Amino acid sequence: MANPNNVVVVAEQLQGDLQQITQELMGAARGLAEKLNTGVSCFLLGHGVTPMAERLIHYGADEVVVVDDPQLKEYATLPYRRAVIGILEHLKTPPPIILMGATTIGRDLAPRIAAYLETGLTADCTELDIGDYEHKGKADPTKTGTFSNILYAIRPSFGESLKARILGPWKNPQMATTRIGVMQALPVDATRKGAVYTVSVKFEPDDFRVKVVKTVRDVSATINLTGAKVIVSGGFGLGNADGFEVVRDLASIFKDSVVGASRRAVDSGWIPYAHQVGQTGKTVRPDIYIALGISGAIQHRVGMSHSRIIIAVNKDPDAPIFKFAHYGIVGDLYQVAPLLKKELVKMAGNVGIKAGA
Amino acid sequence: MPDTSSKAGVNPDGTIDRARAKRMLNPFDRYALQKAIEIKRAYGAEVTCVTMGPPPAAEVLVEAFEHGADYGVLLTDKRLAASDTLATAYALHKVVRYLGECDIVLTGLQTTDGDTAQVGPQIAERLGLAQITYCEALSISGKTLSARRVVEGGHQELEVQLPVLITVANSATPLDYKRFADVAGVKEFLRRPEEKERRIKIVSLDTIQADGARTGLVGSPTVVGKTWKLGEIGGSCTLFQGESMEREVEELIGKLRSDGKGVEELING
Repeated sequence: MANPNNVVVVAEQLQGDLQQITQELMGAARGLAEKLNTGVSCFLLGHGVTPMAERLIHYGADEVVVVDDPQLKEYATLPYRRAVIGILEHLKTPPPIILMGATTIGRDLAPRIAAYLETGLTADCTELDIGDYEHKGKADPTKTGTFSNILYAIRPSFGESLKARILGPWKNPQMATTRIGVMQALPVDATRKGAVYTVSVKFEPDDFRVKVVKTVRDVSATINLTGAKVIVSGGFGLGNADGFEVVRDLASIFKDSVVGASRRAVDSGWIPYAHQVGQTGKTVRPDIYIALGISGAIQHRVGMSHSRIIIAVNKDPDAPIFKFAHYGIVGDLYQVAPLLKKELVKMAGNVGIKAGA
Repeated sequence: MPDTSSKAGVNPDGTIDRARAKRMLNPFDRYALQKAIEIKRAYGAEVTCVTMGPPPAAEVLVEAFEHGADYGVLLTDKRLAASDTLATAYALHKVVRYLGECDIVLTGLQTTDGDTAQVGPQIAERLGLAQITYCEALSISGKTLSARRVVEGGHQELEVQLPVLITVANSATPLDYKRFADVAGVKEFLRRPEEKERRIKIVSLDTIQADGARTGLVGSPTVVGKTWKLGEIGGSCTLFQGESMEREVEELIGKLRSDGKGVEELING
């Protein structure tokens, strides 16, 4: 019987591939579990997934609770919802904390579970911690009190101009999702041992109202914005779709680069959404981020401000991007980008080699 | 929702004073509204736009009418103040119940103030509806809705029997928001009180038979414990500007080299 006092991570796998977020969640959960003096349980749902349990233990789980069922072959909201609820009912008492990824799966599933359980859920956390809380609110005296060892779910708020600590001290499980790439995974430890439990879940016909006709994962067509070392992005300052030629041209000189874009460029139809960086697009932190004709509105900034080196080119010396870029050139990007390309190539020594040949 | 580009309306306790904040239609909801109007045009439908907030939030209904919505409902009640997502979803699901049968509930993927993407699925849970989140495209044949849902590095093709709740991804049809706009038509009907009354309903928690103990601060399982302002970033940008672009670029390269950031290692050899 799995330990109901453990911090829970709901593992994420897509067609049998364990997603990176799971390892990150496990790192976060271990930190919380140590402060609570308890362990980490991982819920693993899918079909033919039982062999992955060992890997989850190597990632940091003490226990893995598996629902391995042909009905869970493809991710679908309702059967996965039923499986998580099934495990929780099996545990008898609710776990203190449940963590899930802020992914297209986690953000689909977690709110349904939270609403079913009538419990709090904090989305897209960037930090998690354990601490105490005194509730002084007078609106409802039944809620007043001092609570210890509760989850601090910390997330950006109000267009990311604020950081907020969200608490749900009144009821377990306290639920949270975390953004991809934010939590620190632990080194994989192949010597770790743990327990694996199997739970069978009874599905209802209603759970299969949504039929998954197919899942298409086209990795080659995917723009790997979050994995690239260098991103060259274009914004509204390009003026038109053809402007992205200049962006692509500059990107082409880097070893591992992709083309990014601001929301305004995407909304203008100049480039597909998959390239969008920012609040309504992808959050990225490459080694180099070059912004061409991007003003740097907060919605863009929050998606890229953690990049190691930010170089901005903009005509407007007062553009907000110059407040948080590391290097900036005030000027026409159509003039600057080709020069920048030439000089960067020279810097890497190509010209020197040519000269010597 | 409050306009997040405006600083007005953040309470000391970190909740948002929606009466003081500047109001705007949540940008994500524009995709949902556009999708609803597309469905109306393609298959025939009546579109009712539901919003919740202080009385001036009726402004966003006007925007919805301009783009082709048929009816608007504003849920307004002091007991809604400071609702978290669960309490918001409770209130909104009660509005949907109050309106009676519907085939499709559309919501934006998320808001740009809270960014949680939780309210749509939580409404679905409370209504006992199937859901399709991150929906990029859909078509309807009889009672069957086919949809394309975004997943990391790909998509899913799904089929569901109506009714269903859909959250619309912003990778859906590019926003062509003015396409169906009829500003003059709306001005015209807003001038006729009986027509205005027929098309805009303003309801309270009592009207929709919702329990005030399950909304607002009291009905929310979460609370904002503390907030911090994210300090103004920067001041550290090394800026190059002048007459000659060539010189600016050269100076930048020189600085990159002297800062020793290893830029050259990332360039094709």
